Amino acid sequence: MNPENGALDTKALFACLMLASLAAIGLAIGLSVGIGDLPVPLGTTFTAITNRLGWTSVEIDRVYETVIWDYRLSRALVAAFCGAGLALSGAIMQSLLRNPLAEPYVLGISAGASTGAVAIIILGLGGGALSLSGGAFLGAFAAFCFVALLSNGTRGGADRTILAGVAASQLFNATTSYIVTTSGNAQQARDVMFWLLGSFGGVRWPEFMLVSVVVSIGLVACLCYARTLDTFAFGDETAASLGVNVDRARIVLFALTAMMTATIVSMVGSIGFVGLIVPHTARALVGPLHVRLLPACMLIGAVFMVLADVASRALIPQQVLPIGVVTALVGVPFFSIILYRLQRAS
Amino acid sequence: MTPLAAAPTSYPLTLDNCGAKVTFQRAPQRAIGLGQNSAEIMLLLGLQNRMVGTAFWPSKVLPQLAETNAKVKLLTVEFPTFESMLAERPDFVAAALPTLLGPSSKVAKRGDFERVGVPSYLSPGTCLETKGSKDAYGNRAQLWSMEVLYREIDELSRIFDVADRGQALIADFKTREAALRASVTPGDKKLSYVFWFSSPSPSADAYLGGKNGASGFIANLLGGRNAIGAEAEWPTLGWESIIAAKPDVIVVASLDRNRWELDKPEAKIKFLKTDPAVSQLAAVRNKAIVVMDGQAMNPTVRTLYGAEHVAQQLKALGLLK
Amino acid sequence: MSITAENLVWRIGSKTIVDRVSFVAEPGRMLGLLGPNGSGKTSLLRLLAGLKRPQSGRVLLDGSDLASLGARAVARRVAFVEQHATTSTNLRIADIVRLGRFPHRSWLSRWTHADDSAVDEALLRAGLQDRRSDRWQSLSGGEKQRTHIARALAQTPTELILDEPTNHLDIQHQIGVLKLVANLPITSVVALHDLNHAAMFCDAVIVMQHGKIVASGAPDVVITEALLRDVFSVEARVETSPHHQRPCIHYLR
Repeated sequence: MNPENGALDTKALFACLMLASLAAIGLAIGLSVGIGDLPVPLGTTFTAITNRLGWTSVEIDRVYETVIWDYRLSRALVAAFCGAGLALSGAIMQSLLRNPLAEPYVLGISAGASTGAVAIIILGLGGGALSLSGGAFLGAFAAFCFVALLSNGTRGGADRTILAGVAASQLFNATTSYIVTTSGNAQQARDVMFWLLGSFGGVRWPEFMLVSVVVSIGLVACLCYARTLDTFAFGDETAASLGVNVDRARIVLFALTAMMTATIVSMVGSIGFVGLIVPHTARALVGPLHVRLLPACMLIGAVFMVLADVASRALIPQQVLPIGVVTALVGVPFFSIILYRLQRAS
Repeated sequence: MTPLAAAPTSYPLTLDNCGAKVTFQRAPQRAIGLGQNSAEIMLLLGLQNRMVGTAFWPSKVLPQLAETNAKVKLLTVEFPTFESMLAERPDFVAAALPTLLGPSSKVAKRGDFERVGVPSYLSPGTCLETKGSKDAYGNRAQLWSMEVLYREIDELSRIFDVADRGQALIADFKTREAALRASVTPGDKKLSYVFWFSSPSPSADAYLGGKNGASGFIANLLGGRNAIGAEAEWPTLGWESIIAAKPDVIVVASLDRNRWELDKPEAKIKFLKTDPAVSQLAAVRNKAIVVMDGQAMNPTVRTLYGAEHVAQQLKALGLLK
Repeated sequence: MSITAENLVWRIGSKTIVDRVSFVAEPGRMLGLLGPNGSGKTSLLRLLAGLKRPQSGRVLLDGSDLASLGARAVARRVAFVEQHATTSTNLRIADIVRLGRFPHRSWLSRWTHADDSAVDEALLRAGLQDRRSDRWQSLSGGEKQRTHIARALAQTPTELILDEPTNHLDIQHQIGVLKLVANLPITSVVALHDLNHAAMFCDAVIVMQHGKIVASGAPDVVITEALLRDVFSVEARVETSPHHQRPCIHYLR
């Protein structure tokens, strides 16, 4: 039996879309590297990169080379991977929890990270041995464990998991507020706010190493579960009846998303809407089957985040808008469209 | 650490600064004051002609520095970008807040500047080893003193080869400090102070200056004590607790930001006089209310100026002789 | 081809839901599972499908203990259709039916000719062969249920287990689904509420009450006025229908 023509067409179309996305990412990164407060001539921008790659050795201003390579390029690449990771996590959350409004922070990870961060900034826990990112990561991990326990491991079911996540978010957010109001001063409160709203300003090549490895592992591992994720479309029972080890699949997938999300949040703070919007966009373009949805999410997420970062730097000269604000500005209208569509469908 | 004599600096100068060795080949000519605190110290040292930019000003500049500050380019009042600083081609960056310069900063790390050959300086107050009297919970176990500030002034002045101006500034501060202490006649009643920074709304808990922070320092300087016993740097208390503390003097902070209605000193004074319970406080009935620059409640150069302003008003009210 | 229950016991806490149930589902026949709410039907079905583990007793597939087989191995033999499985995604019918091939495909295996045949056959049986590209959200209740049955058939099972498949369907689709299942050559165990439907379509029925089997056998033997009164608490008259030679229940007002 031949697959109907429709399937063949969509295969070719999918390949085209993927190539176009990769090109778009390249362009977006190029744009990001070319834009900034320091006016760098275009030729110098190229040369800086080729110099550092070892392809050329032209003498150019040290400041330009450092800004282009160590600052702008690393930042653009980190943004791409963060966008990819958040979008991927969002897609998996939406599939596992069978909720179109689910997103990576639904398990309280961002709240946990904020508590870890203020514990370091304000309480000075760890006495300098633990970096801000390290503390945030531990906080995120604590929140994840809390949710795992509260939702009774994986036997709890989607609704219970979501409720546990809500409880965790409330608890850890309240703890953050408590620490800020009882121990912090006005300056620290402002610092915490800035951190929470997310920013790519603090990332350099070491952060790129970490996030690229984590997100790549996440993608490969999640792709292995792509068909399994498809079986979850009708709920745990149907998946189990198809031979899926539901408990194991859920714990592995939750752990993978938690790992990616915690790494990203502890590095750049909490950036919302990406994990919610991009999976819906990807689904509209390539359909709900995960073997296509997951790579599509990654690519679209990467482009989105790089462009959002460019916007956050370019909108107000010499100042950086918190990137959470930019994603919200784009995300909220999108979100309204999703809600409207859901309304119409039901 | 005892300040050295006001000798000219011999270069190269190497300093131990927050765990890093920083070397200066010559006096900086294109400095950036990253943060109000660092900028104001540099301006006080008369270095405006060697500054190419400043950034991050939570409040208005010290009035006496306004004219010289106008000569220096303002990058932004908010958090600056790393690139906007580099665009000025600096040869030195000084900062006092870890969020502006440091390993967890979203603006820049010391290594970023190092890589382009720009030495950086962090205020000793932000380094762990001199946090000293401050413990992990944001409390101050001991009363703050100006020693850390004097060290910063000394180091910055030596970096710029204006050690003489640095010593003069330190001597000036020390003289003013001593003068304030001396201005309180022994045998006078020890006044108790409450320093009110601001509140989100009249009924909300108020942000106050803690016992051992800059506010406590000012109270101590004026021969009195902070009526608030909380050791946290910024305790929040409800008005019931403030009334129970029975302060003799209420110091209301004047803030330039416009986040809350009560940021303005007039709004605070109005509340004190019209609230049914608070208006019954001895301090309010005796009109022992003075205004002070809110920034003085942060441990900076402005603390001393704030203390002087308070003393001036109290003398006019006849509460201090 | 046969599925056997041997002394199945299932408890939640201290409450016994399935109480030492034993029966044999004849190969190729349709077995109806009847009983009022709370009689343990739902749990029994899930024990048969391997979705729950009994506290004691076992389920045998052609003599092999279900518990000793892996989940995938079970899924290659036994297919399960829930009452009302929904999704918010908009999958195509073809993709949903293809899910049924999951237990037959390993991680890296490509889509084979055998997979294609199974899917086409399943669609044909369910009468959906012309609708493969239609999307889930555009289907009626009956079509959705048939899609699930097609998915189950794509598993090329030897046993099919359905939990009240006609509950929320209109009469046309209720009859349609039951006809479809009755005409399948594989063993099926179907929980039903509508006793007349059970009488019409099932080759054998089991009646449960309080977790125990209280009657089993051919419909014309089991469905009696006494049973309706004792187990279902309704007054009725039972006659053999002249139209289909099966029992027909006339409920009294």
